[in-house]
Order: sequence, then structure tokens, then C-alpha cells
Amino acid sequence: MRLSRRKFIQTVGVLSGGLLCMPSCTRSFPEYRVFSSGEAVCLTALCEQIIPADHDPGATDAGVIHFIDKLLHERFPHLLPLYQQGIAALEASCSRLYGTRFASLPTARQIEVMQQMETDALPEEYWTGIKASAFFRQVIRNTMQGFYGPPRHGGNKNYVSYRMLKLDFPLVVGQNRYT
Amino acid sequence: MKNKPVDAIVIGAGAGGGVVAKELAVNGFSVVVFERGGWPEYDEHINDELINQRVQELDSAFGPDWKKHPRVFAGKDGNRRILNAGDGSYNHVAACVGSGTVSYGAMGWRFMREDFRLKSTYGAVAGSTLEDWPISYEDLEPCYEKAEWEIGVSGDDTQNPFAPPRAKPQPMPPFEMNREARHLAQAARRLGLHPFPIPMLRNSVAYNGRAACIRNRTCCGYACPVNAKNGTHNTVIPLAMQTGNCEVRTHCMVAEILVNDQGLATGVRYFDERNKGQTLGARLVVVSGSATETARLLLNSKSKLFPAGAGNNNDWVGRNLQGHAYTGASGLFDFDILDLSGPGACMALCDYNHHNEGIIGGGLLANEFYTLPYAFSQNRPAGEMRWGLGHKNYQRENFYRLGRLVGPIQEIPVFESRVTVDASVKDYWGIPVAVLSGDRHPLDAPHCDFLGSKAEEILKEAGALRTWQHGGGRGGPSGGQHQAGTCRMGNDAQTSVVNRYGQLHEIDNLFVADGSLIVTNGGFNPVLTIMALGYWVGDYIVRTFKK
Ligand SMILES: Cc1cc2nc3c(=O)[nH]c(=O)nc-3n(C[C@H](O)[C@H](O)[C@H](O)COP(=O)(O)OP(=O)(O)OC[C@H]3O[C@@H](n4cnc5c(N)ncnc54)[C@H](O)[C@@H]3O)c2cc1C
Ligand code: SF4
Repeated sequence: MRLSRRKFIQTVGVLSGGLLCMPSCTRSFPEYRVFSSGEAVCLTALCEQIIPADHDPGATDAGVIHFIDKLLHERFPHLLPLYQQGIAALEASCSRLYGTRFASLPTARQIEVMQQMETDALPEEYWTGIKASAFFRQVIRNTMQGFYGPPRHGGNKNYVSYRMLKLDFPLVVGQNRYT
Repeated sequence: MKNKPVDAIVIGAGAGGGVVAKELAVNGFSVVVFERGGWPEYDEHINDELINQRVQELDSAFGPDWKKHPRVFAGKDGNRRILNAGDGSYNHVAACVGSGTVSYGAMGWRFMREDFRLKSTYGAVAGSTLEDWPISYEDLEPCYEKAEWEIGVSGDDTQNPFAPPRAKPQPMPPFEMNREARHLAQAARRLGLHPFPIPMLRNSVAYNGRAACIRNRTCCGYACPVNAKNGTHNTVIPLAMQTGNCEVRTHCMVAEILVNDQGLATGVRYFDERNKGQTLGARLVVVSGSATETARLLLNSKSKLFPAGAGNNNDWVGRNLQGHAYTGASGLFDFDILDLSGPGACMALCDYNHHNEGIIGGGLLANEFYTLPYAFSQNRPAGEMRWGLGHKNYQRENFYRLGRLVGPIQEIPVFESRVTVDASVKDYWGIPVAVLSGDRHPLDAPHCDFLGSKAEEILKEAGALRTWQHGGGRGGPSGGQHQAGTCRMGNDAQTSVVNRYGQLHEIDNLFVADGSLIVTNGGFNPVLTIMALGYWVGDYIVRTFKK
């Protein structure tokens, strides 16, 4: 079972007899550093279609969304507007075309929308100031980084991609140290 | 008395600078080496696939600092972009003690005789400043030998029928080939070609007090966890420091070489590790900042006799910027051709380095350094899905099945491919930055296609089911990790920047010792040649400036 960050803090608070709970932390902790929960739902669905789970884990299991959230917060804040505008435009396009949010579409439809995004074929009026294909390329790149890069940046949780590719870690041949 | 004048200042602790500093220090010169980066540490970035010197997605593991060192890229369409080192067009090597020699793939090639006599061998080329070097292979041979023995190379040139003559063998035996290399070597032999183990600046056996290589798959782009890769940071620079004559000042950015009204260098102006402006005097100055930064520094060093920059009265400083299009081919096999026995590249052939019908120069072919999962995800033949289940299936099926043969192609030098400076764009310290502009020679593209087609032939012979060529040699300017050529050596002061000893034609106590000296960049990775040039220049300085 996965605990959300907020849940975790609450649990710890209870377990430690409230010791951790200073007056200032009665405010709840947001789960993401830069994304709203709505944005995160949309982006999680998008990343999961870029690297979908099958018999091997996918982007969600690898924690790609948290990798990107951390990346935009710590290293590349200049990319945040592209993400925010891209997510908003994607949601607006889906709402106009299908009357629902991207994350609620069935898989086949999501893939179709992504193909349209890749070729700049979504309704133009929602994509002013940014190109759908440029946004999509950026999400693909960061998703790949989060899934295949080393776990030290917050993605590739539990070495899922290294396991999938049968790569020992650390990268010394013959020294498998996953656990 | 920190800034007591010294005999010699060396700017840049990379391949060329490290060697010169050692030559001077062991011969009794007092030396200060300025390096804008710090000492490299393996532990800082370990084997991080997103932060190294080959894949620089999140940062450059060994510099330069993305925030402090902007550059301008002036495309041929006239647009100018201000870049940091995270951009592919930035074209840097590294910035730390050792520079590229910390994280390189460590192929340690000697150029061939023809590489020093390209114009005599092939004739003049329209639209190119192609020229012979003012020195020959024979001149540089003893310096290659010094580099091989003092820095440390594993190899066996007797297995390469095209290798130029040598007085002494390489000091360590060659590395054993991995599965891909063995397989491709067999195919190459069936085609009548001559594969052999790559000479490597890595220890195949314990050498010079350091351990032998453990062959992990992160080598090219990374520092070595067991110190078995030989760069200037763990060989010649420590030797220089042990003499007591050499001080390495890290995190110091040199802004300008000071040249007096008599036309002699008197020292440098620099920013120290606290970003405070300082000057240091010296009897002589050696610039080893790599082809781009050396040119920038000379151009930024304006004086009464040299209003356009030190040694630039003929407008040749920064010209003829070259690098290497790395080209070749990939092939997918129906069995696991990779065993991930590091570092990947083990086997090469020099059959295509010279005397190819209709080609000027050529290049070596070698199997490639491993790519890890992220870089592999970015590399797809035309028509393959870049995302979705198709992407994931390709990744799973082919990670161990992709064989590659690649190599650096001899680029045809172009006068307009160049480094200039832009006074309107300044770095962190207010120093005008380098501008890269110009185009490649139109012959580079067909030359790449030639080498790519040869690589493809070998992969097919080896049984690859599906193959594709990498192309390359289009767009410009070139430069990058193999940057060279911007302070050309020559006998004619009108058409070069320095003489055959790396000494500026018009400033007797100012020298260049790095990739900038290279006249033509060969069909080989250049670092051993740059190190050899360091010994060559160092030896001349020792002989002429002895107290
Ligand atoms: C990932 C990678 C793989 C490579 N693999 C190979 C290979 O297999 N074989 C091969 O032959 N070559 C390889 N190379 C290339 C090789 O490293 C370079 O050719 C070589 O280091 C260039 O030597 P140089 O002396 O010209 O400059 P550098 O070695 O780059 O040294 C220049 C130094 O000067 C410093 N500097 C510059 N300006 C200033 C200033 N104003 N003040 C203070 N300091 C300054 C820089 O920070 C730098 O440390 C590789 C490079 C990389 C990055
Ligand atoms: S392959 Fe050898 S030389 Fe390269 S990093 Fe690993 S141990 Fe060091």
C-alpha cells in the first residue's frame, strides 16, 4: 500500500504522540511541490501512457510524477510555465472534444489524443503561445529521465527500470545490490 | 606574499596544460596553474546517468558551471542564442582539474604520418584552409612515447598494420575484447579488414602505483571509481605538485593576459576563488584553455600593439574551429551481442583512415562505449515508437542486442568556422563570452556517409538483422569534445597564430599548448596528440627559457 505524503505525516504525528506537530504544521502539506492536484492527475495519466505498466511497472510505479515535480522545483523552474500551460491546454482540448478530463478517457482515446498532440492536431485555440508537440516532447524527455535515470533524483523507484532491463545496481557487473 | 611573480603561468589544467605544467615544474620553473573548475570527485555524481560528461541532462558533472559560463551560438540563419552548457550547441569539453581527461573514454590514439601532411597527401581543397602541419609525425613521435609512458596507455600497435612506426611499445598490454568487439572483429576479418584492440589511457594492469581497471560499464563520461583511468589530474599534475615548484589554483578564472607596450606578456589578470580581481606576474605564460576558451582569452587580451587581441593582428585567432562528426552505423542482432563488460569500446580498425577512393582523410571505426537506459531510450531507428508500449518493448528487446561501429571523421577545416567574442554578452565575472559561428565544409557530409556505409557493411557481415547509418557532418560549426584548430601552428606568420613550438609569432613569451594548435584534426580522437603537443611545447620552453 502506498501512503501519500500527507497521510504519512499524519501517521507519524499520531505515532509519535503529536511531538512532531508544531503549531505551524496544522496546515496540511501539499502532496506536490509545483503541481496542483488536478495538474498532477492529468500529468500522471499522460506519463503512464508514455511508459505504460504491463507485466513490468510503468511511469506511475516508478514515481515519474514526483521526479518531474522535484525537477521543476529544484533544477528547471523555467520549465514550469510550459508544463502548466500544456496541461491546461490538454484539459481544455479534451473537455471540448470529449466533454471530460484527459485522465478519465479510456486508454485508446488517450493514445489518440497523444498522437494528435505529437502532430499539433489538437484544437488550435487552446494552444496559443505554446506548441502541443513541443510540450509533448518535453514530457516524453522528462518521463524517460524519471523512469530510466538513477533513483537518486526521485524517479526509477525501487530500480524498476534497471530490473526490467536486468541491469545490476550499482553499475558494476556482477554485483547485484537491489535490496 | 601570495602573488609573488613566478616563472610561468599555465592557464587551464586539462590535457595540454597539465603536461606543460609538469614539464616546467620538474625542470625547476616555478609554476602557477589556473583552473576555473575544482578538483574532480567521483563521489559527487558517482555513476549518475543524468549527470555526467556524456549525458548532461540535469547538469555537467565536471563543468563548466551552467550559471556562470554562458556562450553565444550564432547560427547560419543569423539567429543568435545565449546558451549554457546544458545545450548541445554549447560545445564544451569540461572544466575541472584534468578537464576531459577525467571523464573521457580514454582512447589514446597516435595520428598517422599522413595526418600531419594532409595537403601534400591530398592537394588543396576548395573552400578549405587545409594545410600541412609545420611538424611531422617523426618530430612528435618521442612526445607520443612520453605521453604513453608517463600518463599510461594499454595497447599493442603491432596488431594494427596501419600504425605509424614507433620506437617503444605501449607500456601496458591491450585490453581483452568484450563480446561485441570479438563478434565484430571476426566479421571485419572475413571482409579482409584489420581489427585490433583500441589503445586506451586506462590501466589493463596495475601501473604507476594505481590499480587495474575493473571494467564497469560507466566509463566514458564518468570519473573512474578505482582510479584506473589515466588523466592529467592523477598523473602529471600530481607529479608537478610533488616537485614543490607548482601550485594549482582552482576556481580561478583568468580574464586577460597582460601584454606590455613592448609586446611581451607580463602576467595575467584573474578572478580568484572569492571572485576578487587579482593580477599575477610571470616570465612567460602558457594558454591551455581548450580550443574555444583559449581563442576567447587571446581575443579578450587587448593591448597597444595588439588592439584586436593577443597575436591577432592577422585576424587568425579563433579561425578554423574543428571537431569531429562522430559517425558510423547501428545494427540490431537476434542475440545478446552486448555483455556489458566495460567500457564498451574495445576493438577498432584503421583501414579507412587514409587512401580511400575519392575521400580526403577518413576515420577509424570502433565499437562504441555503452549507453545506459536513458540514453538508449533516446536512440531509435526511423519508424520506431518513441513512447507507449512500442517504446517499452523495443527497450526490453534490444538493450543487449544493439551493436554499433562508430568513429571520428577527418573534418575539412573552414576559415569562417570560428570563435569570436561578444562584448555585449558577459559571463559571471563580466568577461566577454565566446561566440561560435560558421558552417562545416560541404565535404564533411559525404565523408560521414562513406564511413557510415563501411560500418554498415561490417555490421551486416556480422549478422545484424536491421542496420542504419548515423549520417552527420551537417550544420555547424563543429567543435565539442574534440574541439581543435583555433590557434593554428605554422611557419608563415601571415596564415597561422603560433610557430612550430606553440609560441605566438609576435609575442615571444606567450605560448599555446592545447587542442588549439592542431592544424588538421585527423580521423582519430585527439587527446594523445594534445598531450604529445604539451610535451613538445614544454620541451621547447625549458630549452629556451632556462634561467
Ligand atoms: C566524455 C568525453 C569523452 C572523451 N573521450 C575521448 C577519447 O576517448 N579519446 C580522446 O582522444 N579524447 C576524448 N575526449 C576529448 C578530450 O578530453 C579533449 O580532446 C581534451 O581534454 C582537450 O584538451 P585541451 O588541453 O585542448 O583542453 P581541456 O582538456 O579541455 O583543458 C582546458 C582547461 O582549461 C580550463 N580553462 C579554460 N579557460 C580558462 C580560464 N580562462 N581560466 C581558468 N581556466 C580555464 C578549463 O576549465 C579546462 O579545465 C573526450 C572528452 C569528453 C568530455
Ligand atoms: S571501465 Fe575501468 S577505467 Fe573505466 S571507469 Fe571503470 S574501472 Fe575505471
